[in-house]
Amino acid sequence: MEHENETGHAGVHMPLPTVWPVVLALGLTLIIAGMVTHVAVAVLGLMLSLVSAVGWFRNVLPHEAHEIVEAPIEPLELVSVRTSIDRIPVEPMHRKVIPVETFRFSTGLMGGIAGGIAMIAPATLFSLIKYHSLWYAMNLLAAGGFVSWAGESNQFLAQFHLQGFLAALAIHAVTSILVGSLYGAMLPMFPRWPILTAGFLAPLLWTGLLASVLNVVSPILNERIDWFWFVGSQITFGLVAGFVVNLQAKVRTPQFQALPFALRAGFHANLRHDDEEKDGQA
Amino acid sequence: MATSTRVTGHLDNPTASGSHRGALAVLQDWLTTVDHKKIGLMYIGYALVFLLIAGFQALLMRVQLLVPNNNFVSPEVFNRLFTMHGTTMVFFVGMPILFGFGNYLVPLMIGARDMAFPRLNAFSFWISAFGGFLLYFSYFAGSGLYGAGTAPDVGWFAYAPLTSRVFSPGHSTDYWTLSIFLSGIGSIGTALNIVATTLCMRCPGMKLNRMPLLVWLYLVVACLVFVTISPLTAAQIMLCLDRYLGAHFFDTQAGGSAVLWMHFFWIFGHPEVYILVMPAFAFANEIIPVFSRKAIFGYPAMVAASVCIGFISLSVWAHHMFTVGMGPGPNAFFTFATMVIAVPTGIKIFNWLATLWGGNIHFTTPMIFSIGFLFQFLIAGLTGVMLAVSPFDWQLGNSYFVVAHFHYVLVGGILFMIFAAFYYWYPKMTGRMLSERLGKWHFWLFVIGFHLTFDFMHVPGLLGMPRRIYTYEADRGWAIWNLIVSSGAVFQAAATLLFAYNLVHSYFKGEIAGPDPWDAWTLEWSTSSPPPSYNFAVTPTVDSRRPLWDRKHPEETDAQYE
Amino acid sequence: MTTTVAVPHHPVESWTQPSRGLVGMACLIVAESAIFIIFVVAYIFYIGKSLTGPTPREVLDLPIFSTVCLLSSSITVHYAVHALQHSRIRATIGWLAGTVLLGGIFIASTAREWYELIYHHGLTVRTNLFGTTFYSLVGLHASHVIAGLMMLGLALLFALAGKLNQHHAERLEVVSIYWHFVDAVWVIVFTVVYVLGR
Repeated sequence: MEHENETGHAGVHMPLPTVWPVVLALGLTLIIAGMVTHVAVAVLGLMLSLVSAVGWFRNVLPHEAHEIVEAPIEPLELVSVRTSIDRIPVEPMHRKVIPVETFRFSTGLMGGIAGGIAMIAPATLFSLIKYHSLWYAMNLLAAGGFVSWAGESNQFLAQFHLQGFLAALAIHAVTSILVGSLYGAMLPMFPRWPILTAGFLAPLLWTGLLASVLNVVSPILNERIDWFWFVGSQITFGLVAGFVVNLQAKVRTPQFQALPFALRAGFHANLRHDDEEKDGQA
Repeated sequence: MATSTRVTGHLDNPTASGSHRGALAVLQDWLTTVDHKKIGLMYIGYALVFLLIAGFQALLMRVQLLVPNNNFVSPEVFNRLFTMHGTTMVFFVGMPILFGFGNYLVPLMIGARDMAFPRLNAFSFWISAFGGFLLYFSYFAGSGLYGAGTAPDVGWFAYAPLTSRVFSPGHSTDYWTLSIFLSGIGSIGTALNIVATTLCMRCPGMKLNRMPLLVWLYLVVACLVFVTISPLTAAQIMLCLDRYLGAHFFDTQAGGSAVLWMHFFWIFGHPEVYILVMPAFAFANEIIPVFSRKAIFGYPAMVAASVCIGFISLSVWAHHMFTVGMGPGPNAFFTFATMVIAVPTGIKIFNWLATLWGGNIHFTTPMIFSIGFLFQFLIAGLTGVMLAVSPFDWQLGNSYFVVAHFHYVLVGGILFMIFAAFYYWYPKMTGRMLSERLGKWHFWLFVIGFHLTFDFMHVPGLLGMPRRIYTYEADRGWAIWNLIVSSGAVFQAAATLLFAYNLVHSYFKGEIAGPDPWDAWTLEWSTSSPPPSYNFAVTPTVDSRRPLWDRKHPEETDAQYE
Repeated sequence: MTTTVAVPHHPVESWTQPSRGLVGMACLIVAESAIFIIFVVAYIFYIGKSLTGPTPREVLDLPIFSTVCLLSSSITVHYAVHALQHSRIRATIGWLAGTVLLGGIFIASTAREWYELIYHHGLTVRTNLFGTTFYSLVGLHASHVIAGLMMLGLALLFALAGKLNQHHAERLEVVSIYWHFVDAVWVIVFTVVYVLGR
């Protein structure tokens, strides 16, 4: 920050320090301050402003006042504290950290369909045990679609209704596929134990989805829902979905293509190790 | 040179220059300087002084509200306190401290030797500074008629017709108007300088899409300054004409409109919030990636979101006026616009989270302040969305809920990032590290104090306590909440004093920083700490958004990936 | 003081950035426009809201001649810059003098208009809302014209003293952009005050 090095040789042109900006600012402030104090203050401010305006003008015209500051060049070694890691010699463009293998999106979809079919069993069991009817659970689900059903008795719900069957089928299919897709989208984050994650996550998703909107969508179901059987059905859904998913083959991501041949062929087993270390690299 | 012991230039103590010069020479040096770094430091130092003053005013107000029916200060003094606290914090703390960092960092980050207009830069600083002095001079010379007041007491948004000659005799309101007018000139000058510097002074290779996000955000802020500070200046001119020449702009007796002032003020007032918060975003954009050891996530999205916020912020001002009775059309429009602005802000939050995700997070003091910022700014944004719903605002407008909301933004968001910025760039500015141990104490004390004060401040608002009241009855059920709120203020004050001590102590005894203590990636870390007056002996050239990463890791430069 | 070079210098093919003078002036114009917008909005908001007379229709005449003068001064200042860019100093002096003269005529006719309004029609800034908004908006514009005239006058003086040359063309261009802005604002003010407002 020194300015005294005015040696002639190659330096850096920097603007010369000048007093006029601060004087002009003071002058203008005093002019303004004159409005709240005394006119003499404004007069003083005006004089300062004029003087500094002229001074500033002469500072930049015809040539901008500058000084030459000596700027010796000294190479500086910048060191990164990042500890160098043992890298697998791969292609240069491998910065993206994505899993080597993952599931297809359709895998989750298929799991959702299978789980949805499997879920019918505990739901029917619930109907049979509690209400001695095959159709109770189905009608309860369908009741969300029919405003007129809102006030119906248990008796009515225990009978078979074709429109109830179709409505329940549609609702159940759409929801199963939706939850399955959601599950499929989340799978790459939990690629290791799909049955476990499915058994927990899918019921969680389903319950969360339903519990939050149930009162609006289907007050009748909300009134009569038996949460024990409900969660039971869902865990069935989850386990079946997880099982189906686990049957499917994993696909290899572009990351896999970036691995050297020896790794791709399975001669080395330190893939995880590599993934974890790359997290810290950028 | 990597561990130079030479320390020159300092925000609090300019006499510490390396050489043995007289105090007069040092004074002359600082008065006449056109160096963007010295001007930046003066901005910061000046803002810190006002921060202490306005913080002290806040403490006095909290003491007054500590218990019901208190008479710690008189009602007149209380009015002056909240007016001066608000005005000072916005115009003489927030703006200067952010402009100070901008002044210091923008040229360094784009590889320039100085700002585009160095003399204008000095002028802008000084006129803002003199504006602040003029405002506080009112305490000594306010000459209110029949003891009506010395310092301004009309509130920081000075609604008409309270500001007319009839209701505000004497000159106290004029001090408010004129000092803001002066600081406005300085703000526009600095903003002009930042835009010209960013567009015209970049080093070779520093394309717009390679600029550090901090520079991008300052560019957006500077553009916002033109279209928001100018209307304020215009409104202040009108108010002056009313008060001095007897014009009728806001004179309801002659057909003028008090609501027009509200519109003019908030056309400035709301974008001003974004002028203050976007530099905080800017600091977060630099600090979070460095301590996550990852490049920022979604650079283009961050730039786009910033520009979006800039535009949308111009169309939300009247959400401050839901209680005025604008009618369903404007109410619906401003409710909608205010909610829309949460979208780009949300994008930013998610991008910061994505930057943290999977990163190798270093919990240094700047980083923990940034993480505090993320949480608190999110909550502040959520209460903001609540208040944007106009029926909700009819219920809680002008209550302590609003006060708690905007302090959550200003303190929980902006002040936390300012503290983070201090811990992060202090080594660059002085050559020495701030004490990490004191920094951690500072953080935890401040976090506790902040949440005690501003979390609990929402409650009396919900219970119906209006803002700006001098005192309250004991049977309202507000007493316990006010007690908690005031006790939090003590923690914050202690933390701030600790911070001030850290600033001074570390300047003399701090660990030597070296040019690049954080292993960071932007250009300011490629020169010595503090940088020489010319910043870079040789103008750098860059090939990517992280020039120092490229330099440190020639085997895999960013340039290959962008 | 020694310094460091961590990022090496290597040539980049072509690196051009906009002129800082022009960018600075553009920023100033944006900021000034915002001020004018507020005054224009206030003017439009208060059209017809005055509680007492005189009204604009009673006292305002269309200032056609001074408007033509001011607008044509935009053309002369453009040619002044053009002449200076080609080092034709004498032509520059001529065009600059023309610009200052035309601007001067505008200011003089505004002064005469105000004189008549104040002394013959009794309209001041305190009379009614029309007076308040009229004098502030037109006065704000007139003060910008005066500032522009001072800059142009200085340039003219330097040109007469023989100190103006081709190197200053860019600076004169910056001033000329300001002058174009002032003229453009007059188009708005004219439309609002003398056409819409009457």
